[in-house]
Amino acid sequence: MANVNTVTTKKTIPKASAPVAKPVTKHVSSKSNPSEFGIIIIGAGGSGLAAGMYAARLGMTSLILGATQGYDLPVGGVITTTHVVENYPGFTTLTGPELAKHIEDHTRTYKEVTIKEERVSSVSKSGKGFVVKTGKGEYNGKMILFATGTKWKKLPESVKGSKEFENKGVHYCALCDGPLYKNKIVSVIGGSDSAAKDALLLAEHATKVYIIYRGEKIRPEPINLKRIEANKKIEVINSTNIIEVKGEKLVTGVVLDKVYKNSKEMKLDGIFVAIGHIILSELAKPLGVKLNRKGEIMINHMTSETSVPGVFAAGDVTDKVFKQLITGVADGCTAAHSAWEWIAEQG
Amino acid sequence: MAVKIYTTSTCQWCKKTKAFLKENKVAFTEVDVGANAKAGEEMIEKSGQSGVPVTIANGKIIVGFDEGKLREALGLK
Repeated sequence: MANVNTVTTKKTIPKASAPVAKPVTKHVSSKSNPSEFGIIIIGAGGSGLAAGMYAARLGMTSLILGATQGYDLPVGGVITTTHVVENYPGFTTLTGPELAKHIEDHTRTYKEVTIKEERVSSVSKSGKGFVVKTGKGEYNGKMILFATGTKWKKLPESVKGSKEFENKGVHYCALCDGPLYKNKIVSVIGGSDSAAKDALLLAEHATKVYIIYRGEKIRPEPINLKRIEANKKIEVINSTNIIEVKGEKLVTGVVLDKVYKNSKEMKLDGIFVAIGHIILSELAKPLGVKLNRKGEIMINHMTSETSVPGVFAAGDVTDKVFKQLITGVADGCTAAHSAWEWIAEQG
Repeated sequence: MAVKIYTTSTCQWCKKTKAFLKENKVAFTEVDVGANAKAGEEMIEKSGQSGVPVTIANGKIIVGFDEGKLREALGLK
């Protein structure tokens, strides 16, 4: 068990616009009822786990709920599908699953944190707090934190064959399925940093990797752009879309919307899709939480508060601009701290 | 009961599936298709799938980590 501190020197860091809060441990712990928590954190990625850890340091009990089903992300979140992480302080380089495990293990050392792999079906207001229902139980929390993140955006159905060949050559996790494409020809669809990292990973297995991007120029972080440019296996095709996935039992190629090297058809063994993410904010809607046009939860970026009192949000589900594990973890800590202040103000 | 799981070493859902089988004390054989190309071909031939994990339990093929389908195939409550 790690050293679990119950903070008693709260007054050293008052919020400028808020009254100085009282010590709050008695308000947010409920050891007598195992289904009652200070804060219920929905989502078990980096943001949610960091929030649980920080809530514990502030003396709050928390329940972190995150479920895996099919290809939904496991505890640890999206970073578990990243091959190499080089932008997290303290670790020069390590794999995403390794980093996720470090964060999860760290969070689990706090006895105030409960992590359950249960899928949340609803969140509703109940008296001064909230009720969260899952397929396995019902839990009460004085506050809610949405750290639900995102899920992979799939190829649109307008791309003929994209659904038919899913897991038959069309993939969404290069880290998982890339090793099956040793000495094969593959493509990555997308132009983001994630797409570039997928291409670099796949180049370790495949003989050739095409990056097919609809925009004028791919836009990874400069460090990864240099790596892409230096890798002889990788070829970038900009300003191009795929309009059809072709195959028999498995993928055999794609049809492009413009000619490339004298043909619109390209032979491929595998297609790895990295065209962005869908925001998972549906559960927040019934509470009246304000969302932007993209479906992101709008937050006060100083406090991680949403438009609904007692409801906070952190990480990729929010309307923040720069979405990385390093920033999501910070959001989780900020949200936990704001929650601590908020509940103290309620008296 | 014959349970076989096709995995790659970097797949989190594979780890999840193996953990589920262990928790439920189900014996299984694991094949790493990233390290064994022939096993990869076998997986594709049997399941028609080229994504991992693929679990074959009592003749039933389960793609991805699907607790409900695993329980059903294994006769677990």
